[in-house]
Amino acid sequence: MFLAPAAAILGIALLYPIGYMIYASFLDWNPSQRIGEADWVGMRNYLKLLHDEAFWESTWVTIRFASIVVTLEMILGVGLAMLLDRNLRGMSILRTIFILPMMIAPIVVGLMWRYMYHPQVGIFNRTLKSLGFDPIPFLSESNWAFASVIISDVWQWTPFIFILSLAALQSLPKSAIEASRIDGASGWQQVLHIKLPLMLPVLIVTVLLRLIDAFKVLEVILVMTNGGPGLSTEVLALHISRTASEFRELGEAAAMSNVLLFLLMLLTICMFGYTKLQEKRSLHLRQAAKEEV
Amino acid sequence: MKHFKNILKPALLAGLMAFGAGGFAQADVAPQYKPYEGTTLVVNFPVFPHYNAAMKVIQQFTEETGINVEVDQLAYLKMRERQTLELTKDEGDYDLISYVVFSKADYVFADQLENLARYFMNPKLADPNYDAKDLIDGYVQNIGVAGGEKGYLPGPTGSLYGVPFGAETSALAYRADIFEKHGLKVPETLDEMVDIACKIPQLEPGMGGLAMRAASGHHASHAFLLLLNPLGGAVFDDNWQPIINNEQGVAAANMLKKITDCGIAGAKTFGPSEAAAAFSSGQYAMFLDSIGFAAGFEDTSKSQVAGKVQWALHPKGVVAASQTGGFGIAIPKNAKHKEAAFLLLQWLTSKETDLKIAMEGGNPSRFSTYQDAGLNAKYPYSATFGEALKFANPDWRPIIPTWGKINADLGTTLSKILTEGLDPKEGLDGVAERAHAIMDEAGYYTWQ
Repeated sequence: MFLAPAAAILGIALLYPIGYMIYASFLDWNPSQRIGEADWVGMRNYLKLLHDEAFWESTWVTIRFASIVVTLEMILGVGLAMLLDRNLRGMSILRTIFILPMMIAPIVVGLMWRYMYHPQVGIFNRTLKSLGFDPIPFLSESNWAFASVIISDVWQWTPFIFILSLAALQSLPKSAIEASRIDGASGWQQVLHIKLPLMLPVLIVTVLLRLIDAFKVLEVILVMTNGGPGLSTEVLALHISRTASEFRELGEAAAMSNVLLFLLMLLTICMFGYTKLQEKRSLHLRQAAKEEV
Repeated sequence: MKHFKNILKPALLAGLMAFGAGGFAQADVAPQYKPYEGTTLVVNFPVFPHYNAAMKVIQQFTEETGINVEVDQLAYLKMRERQTLELTKDEGDYDLISYVVFSKADYVFADQLENLARYFMNPKLADPNYDAKDLIDGYVQNIGVAGGEKGYLPGPTGSLYGVPFGAETSALAYRADIFEKHGLKVPETLDEMVDIACKIPQLEPGMGGLAMRAASGHHASHAFLLLLNPLGGAVFDDNWQPIINNEQGVAAANMLKKITDCGIAGAKTFGPSEAAAAFSSGQYAMFLDSIGFAAGFEDTSKSQVAGKVQWALHPKGVVAASQTGGFGIAIPKNAKHKEAAFLLLQWLTSKETDLKIAMEGGNPSRFSTYQDAGLNAKYPYSATFGEALKFANPDWRPIIPTWGKINADLGTTLSKILTEGLDPKEGLDGVAERAHAIMDEAGYYTWQ
């Protein structure tokens, strides 16, 4: 009885839109029709995706993008947290400045980087020219364009990893670090054998949150490259958006969204499965230690 | 009326001005407008130079008719999204909409626009001095008519759904000072144009030859069509079989690649605005695109080449074929005030208003406007544009519901040709194959 309001909210606010999207994926629906006027086509939209080269190219771009940005952001974010986890004068101001990029609207981030990458007036190419180097085709050559969108994403979202890692670091039990120090562990040994293992549950959730976000990235890339050159930066979210608005295929766009949802769910389940496994392993080790005592 | 968060301040201001002016002008309303006096029309216009010019004169409509006008002005791709939602409602918020030419197919196919015949047949509404023959026929055929040849062109079964307003053709802008300095002849053919485009960087180090849109997607496709049509090519043959990968198609793709290769850094990702900005900042010697950019090149507050630009006809290949495109205006089926909306449509596209808007920098929709001495004195390029319209090809691109998908595929494939070295023949073969599958699924081969 007490659960009824929560269940109702969950049903209406969460499950209804997802159910709507799943239903839409079985329709031949264009934006000029109401959903009730669209024809039921069964699995056709999903079957079409199997042969849609652009869809698979976008999926591959998304997987590459998400893997690279999250890896780089984790290395940089955790590394910076380790470096800045100390009580120095002005550290709180530095931390605040450091998290500014993630507070900027993605559209603004896209515009800002687009102008900085501009072939003639952008700061990077102007600097290169003034130093006597050839300009770099940041947004007009496929590999450079892909690298450029990665750089902007890393710039914007490394602070997110940093802030969570710092919080995790500061909540670590001082006794464990102190004990390791007394036992003669070096700074690197403390990081590798004490801090990182203890931070792992937080880091797993952080990776998961960033991966989910990276899989759905849209605005920055839309503004910077609009998916080009060719399809080199056309991530799945952008392909879905174009399918819905440019190609006017709402059913196909819904099917693509469901595939993306499925991919993210798979990722989440894997992450939580891994966390559970770790918890079980820790429990097992603790029990073994107790038995030894 | 629903609130419009995206109404731009100038638009709102003009709307309010119109509203205010209406309040003071009721005594002067002509008898034909009396039944509609006090009506408030809500119209949807794009943010586009022609419509910005129209905003400067629209308050006169309220003064003359007593009909108030509120304008919801949006970026044109946003406008299409908004309209798509609005047109599916039982009763829409818009009484008159501007639509980009390729929306014609979607809106007419979905039965969302009023057939204008019954309004032009109504003696209480139709102005006998409207002179429809004076409207540029290439524009009317391309933007206004549907249901005839190929489904989207005029013909015995065709009908009028919209009237061109903000329509445009293509022409070649060139730097007269640079051409004179190096004794260059203004190109009349595509081959001459490409030849000069690649000579310019040698003659004027740091300067690009021909500024043209080429960004992945719609823009690359548009640029390709600007070259394909004069070369005698087309996307489909008369039986809807894709022929984009034939000799002319490959030649157009190669030509576009050569043009961008002879451009400045970043040329392969130019949208039309970037190409125009590069030309107006003096980085290019030529610019091939819409005539809609002409007024901007002469605006000394924005352009560094004002007074140095001249225009020539879109260079020909085996034929002369310039673009037809841009915008038209139509009455949605679900509009609340259809008759008053028709009066506004008729007023906006009348001879007098067409000239007024053209004098403010808009694109004329009438032959008579292009012949006006005052306009030619103010904008000397008008005579060239009037001449260019004789070669405007109403079948410049297929205006069919499947075009959006084919256009996007063509545009991304062309971008791969330009930036990744994809072989043009191989790339266009792929486009043709996928286009065939799309057309087959949409039922274009049902009767074959």
